[in-house]
Amino acid sequence: MWVKVKAIIWLHTLRLWRYGMSFINMILSQVLWILLFIMGVLLFVPPEHLTIALRMAYWTIAAWSVISSFSSLVGGWTSFFILMGMVEEHLLRNTSPFTTIIGRVLTGTTVSFAIIIAMGYAFSWIFGRVLMTVEKPALMLSAFTFLIVESLSYALSISATSMRTSISEQFLEILNFGIIGLLIVPISALPGYARLVYLAIPYVAPTYMIKVAVGGEVPSLIWEAALISVVESIIMALIALRLIRSVEDHVRRNGVRAVGFW
Amino acid sequence: MGLWTLLKSGLVLDIYFFKNNRAQLVSMFAWPYILLALMLGMGFLFGSAETFKSNVGVEADPVVFFIASTLVAMASMSVMWEVGGTVLYHRWIGTLPYVLIAPYRTSITLVMSYVPRYLLWSFMQLAEFIPVLVWREGLVGGLTDTLVMGLAIVVGMLPLLGFAAIFSALLLTIKEETNILGWLNPIILILSGAFYPAYLFPAWARLLSMLLPTTYTFELARLSSLLGAPKLAEMTFLIAVLFGMSFLYNALSFTLMGKAESRALRSGAV
Repeated sequence: MWVKVKAIIWLHTLRLWRYGMSFINMILSQVLWILLFIMGVLLFVPPEHLTIALRMAYWTIAAWSVISSFSSLVGGWTSFFILMGMVEEHLLRNTSPFTTIIGRVLTGTTVSFAIIIAMGYAFSWIFGRVLMTVEKPALMLSAFTFLIVESLSYALSISATSMRTSISEQFLEILNFGIIGLLIVPISALPGYARLVYLAIPYVAPTYMIKVAVGGEVPSLIWEAALISVVESIIMALIALRLIRSVEDHVRRNGVRAVGFW
Repeated sequence: MGLWTLLKSGLVLDIYFFKNNRAQLVSMFAWPYILLALMLGMGFLFGSAETFKSNVGVEADPVVFFIASTLVAMASMSVMWEVGGTVLYHRWIGTLPYVLIAPYRTSITLVMSYVPRYLLWSFMQLAEFIPVLVWREGLVGGLTDTLVMGLAIVVGMLPLLGFAAIFSALLLTIKEETNILGWLNPIILILSGAFYPAYLFPAWARLLSMLLPTTYTFELARLSSLLGAPKLAEMTFLIAVLFGMSFLYNALSFTLMGKAESRALRSGAV
């Protein structure tokens, strides 16, 4: 088992090193796209609210960056993996192809946190505001852990499904992009009865925890958010595991339907 | 093979593309609205239309302003990827040598087969915004805005095609193409004042933005957002600049593409 884990870590580290230019390009282009978007939003903001608006936007986009990177780098990579014939190669060697796909968590984590740091420094420099200060580091760390578990589970679920039937690429792009709009809403802007319903939407509770950790939200629902995050993470991970098992079983009996994403 | 055949091949390719890839069609309609909703949603969440008008320095409707910006941004992104990135696509699927030995110059093949796609996609996206424009400006105002934006899409396309073909020439001669196109597109959009007007930039950035055809296309399309009738003198000036740039960039791309083709063939890069 340890040999397999070592091989997978080695594979993804080596790929990350060899695709160094792509790695830098991905970070640079993502930061530029976000800058383009933020500049438009800032046209609406009066100078006295600029710092708070930038901080909220920055941390929301940081959360989205994890969600988006995991979907595209873990979920989207499956197409390449299928096309290369790697699913069959793994099955022939009695190894689950998903162990290799799960290894992409290494790439996803490196890319998303590199983007968050680069974006933080770039925006702080461009707009002359301090954006990267955190009041509760432990809360921030646990919030990002929940986000990673939820995003990875979603990515693995659609990866597994894409081995049985075609999946539209919109599940990697549009849904992720649209979710920024949901994440940005401050909980105080919602009526009392709608707040828990809002927190129950996947990814929202960990993002709320991030906002609390930087002092951008009132911590009135922090325990509820933590509980929802734990429950959702477990449910999403279990769904992913169940899908992986059922797809593996199907693929062993019927072969891979090399469809993937399109 | 006449030029009409190239145009027709581009059109037929698109029709079948839409027919066989419905999800892509849905996404084409959804993207501009998602982008617009996010921009306006976040804007109104953190600020107001009054602050927007004061920051921009003109009496403009923010909704129409961002509709115009979104449309031109989608169109120029598409040109850069579809003309510039097509070289890359042909290289991947192994058809680049056929494009290079076709009777027409590569730049002409890339540009002419793309024109129907640009017009079709851009006008479909413009059409989906007509209800919002009519809601904001009334029937006559909304239709006038649609005409101004349509004009910007058509006139703005002319220099942009040459501009994108210059990047195709560049891509023929270098490696790591996606890594260049990836960050080039947002830089061009930022400097063109896609969502933040270029006239608000510092002097050095304003100078760079003046060299980009997209800057004038954005300005032309956004004239529709001014409250009251769009100014005719300003429109004529922007159209004249875009025509001048069309001549310049297309002549330049024609020369550069020839050199890039010869170099790629000589070095065996394709």
